[in-house]
Amino acid sequence: MNVAFVVQRYGLDINGGAELHCRWVAEHMARHWNVEVLTTRAHDYVTWADYYPAGTETVNGVIVRRFSVPRPRDPERFGRLQSFILEREHSEKDELDWLEEEGPTSPELLEFIRRHADDYDYFIFFSYRYWHSYWGIRSVPKKAILVPTAEHDPVIDLKFFKDLFRLPRAFVYNSEEERAMIQTLSGNQSVPGIVTGVGTEVPADADAGRFRENHGIRKPYLLYLGRIDQNKGFPQLFDYFLKFKKETGSDVGLVLIGNSILPIPRHPDIFSLGFRPEQDKFDALAGAEALIMPSFYESLSMVTLEAWALGRPVLANARCEVLQGQCRRSNGGLYYENYSEFKESLKLLLASDRLRRALGENGRRYFEANYTWDTIEGKYLEIVRRLEEEL
Amino acid sequence: MDAETPSGKETVEGIEIDYDKLDVAAIMDQVKRAAALAPVEPSEPPREEPPAASIQPPAPAPVAPPPSKPGLKEILKLKLSRAMRPFAPVIRFLGLPLHEEIQATWTEIARISRRQDEFSERLDRVLEKIDQRFSDSAANFDRFRDRLDVRLEDLDRSIEYIRLLHTLEHNLVVEITKLRIEFEGLKSKARILEKDLDAQQQREKVLEKRLLS
Repeated sequence: MNVAFVVQRYGLDINGGAELHCRWVAEHMARHWNVEVLTTRAHDYVTWADYYPAGTETVNGVIVRRFSVPRPRDPERFGRLQSFILEREHSEKDELDWLEEEGPTSPELLEFIRRHADDYDYFIFFSYRYWHSYWGIRSVPKKAILVPTAEHDPVIDLKFFKDLFRLPRAFVYNSEEERAMIQTLSGNQSVPGIVTGVGTEVPADADAGRFRENHGIRKPYLLYLGRIDQNKGFPQLFDYFLKFKKETGSDVGLVLIGNSILPIPRHPDIFSLGFRPEQDKFDALAGAEALIMPSFYESLSMVTLEAWALGRPVLANARCEVLQGQCRRSNGGLYYENYSEFKESLKLLLASDRLRRALGENGRRYFEANYTWDTIEGKYLEIVRRLEEEL
Repeated sequence: MDAETPSGKETVEGIEIDYDKLDVAAIMDQVKRAAALAPVEPSEPPREEPPAASIQPPAPAPVAPPPSKPGLKEILKLKLSRAMRPFAPVIRFLGLPLHEEIQATWTEIARISRRQDEFSERLDRVLEKIDQRFSDSAANFDRFRDRLDVRLEDLDRSIEYIRLLHTLEHNLVVEITKLRIEFEGLKSKARILEKDLDAQQQREKVLEKRLLS
C-alpha cells in the first residue's frame, strides 16, 4: 500500500508538535506501508521561507519530497487579517484570504497531489489549519485521512473549516476531547474516526542524579518542558509559582527546559536551562517531583505522555480540556483552574510522596495501554482496513 | 519503573486519598472545596486596601495661636485649666478607654473592610466563571442553532419531496383510471369483433355448403 504523509514542515531538526508527530508516525508506519512524505522546503513556521533544498531526499529511511513556497508569509499582514476575521463580521472570501496568508502556500505541492493522486492509496494530512490540508483534502477527498491536531483556539470556529471537516474519508484524532470538539463544530459524526495520538520512546537510562550533577540543582523541583510563551500559560505560571513560594514557604524549585520568548523572572528557585538535548530532558523528568503543564491549548501534549511513560505525575492547567481529560482518564495527574486550586493541588502533591508515586504509576499504565508504538501502529492499520472494507 | 503501587487510605492536607481506587476526579472535588474555603491570606492581594498600620490617628490638636494680649475668655480658660490641673490624671484616665474603644472600632472597620475585599474578589471570580459558562453556553447554543438550521433545511426539502410524491400519486391514479376505461372500451370492441367473426364464419360455412352442393 502506498501512503503519502502531507505536512507543513518535515526534518530531523524540526521539533514542532504536529511535525514531530508526523515524522514519528511516518517512520513507524514505513514498516507496514510504502511511505512517502510530501512537504514544503520550509524550516521556519513564521514565514515558511524556503530553507531545505528542493527535490527528494531520504530521512531515516522515509522518502521526503519537498516543494517550494514561492510567497512566504508576511507576519504583519497575517496578524491584521487574523484580527479582522476573529473580531469582525466577514465573508468566506476573507477566510480564504486569511488561509492564503497563513500558508504554507505551495502550488507545486498541490499540483503534485493532483497529478499523482492515482499513485497513492491514501494521503494522510497533518494539521487542519494550514493551506496544504485545506486544498489538499479538497483535491483528493476520497483518499484523504486527516490528523487535525486541533486545539480549542479561536480559528477553529471559522466557517470554512466546518465544510472541511466533513470532507475526508476518515479522521485520526489525538484525544476524545478533540473528537468531541470537531464533531460538535461540524456535525461530522458520519465520517469514520479513531482516537490515536502518538507514541513516544523514553530512554531506559534516564538518570535524575546526572541531571542534578550537571546543573547543580539539589532541591526538589517541578519541571516544565516546551516553549515558554503566552499560549503555553506564561507568565501566569510564574505569578502562581512565586505567590505559592511566598505564601507557603516551600523550597520547591521550577526548572524550565525550552526556548523562551518571554522574560523569565529572576528568582533563585527558577532555573531556566534553555533548549536541552533529549537525554538531558529525560534525566530532568526522571528527577522531577511532577511535570507542570500550564498550557491553555494542547491537542495532545507529548511531554505529558513522556512524563507518564517515566512514571512521573502531572499538574496541568484545567482550562485546557484535553489535559484535564487526560488527567481524569489516566488518574495520573492533578489540575487547576485558578491560583487557589493551583496552591491546594501543589501543596497536596508536594506533601505526599505516596500520592506522587500512585499518580505516576497510573500515568505509566495509561501510557502503556494507549500510547506504545504497537498500539498506535495498530490503530492506523485498523482505520485503513476499515476504509478498504468500505470500498 | 517497577514502583510498587501504594495502597490503603491516607489523609494529606485535609484531602482523603483512597489508594486502592485512586480517583483524580474525587481528589479534585476535595481540592476545589478546600480552595473555595481557604481564607485569603493577608499578604495575598496587592490590593488598594489600606494596610493595617495606616489606621487614621485621631486628629492632632489645633496649633495654639501665637501669643497675643489675652482676652477675658482666654484668662478664664487659663484659670480654669490651672484649677483643673490636679484632676488631669483622672481626666486622662477617663479619656483613655474612649480612645481604646475608637482604636478598636477602627481595627474592626479595617478587618471588615478586608473581609469585604475578600468577598468582592471571590464574587469577581464567581462572576468570571459565570461569564465563562455563559459564553460557553452561548457558543454551544450557536452551534446547536446552526445544526438545527441544517436539519430544518433537510426537513423543508423532505416536505417538498412528499408534496411532489402526492401530486405524482394523484396523477398516476388519474392515468390508471383513464387506462381502465380505455381497456373496458377495447374489451367491448373485441367482443363485437368476435361476434362479427362468428357470424362471418357461419356465413362462410353456409356459402361453402351451397357452392359444393
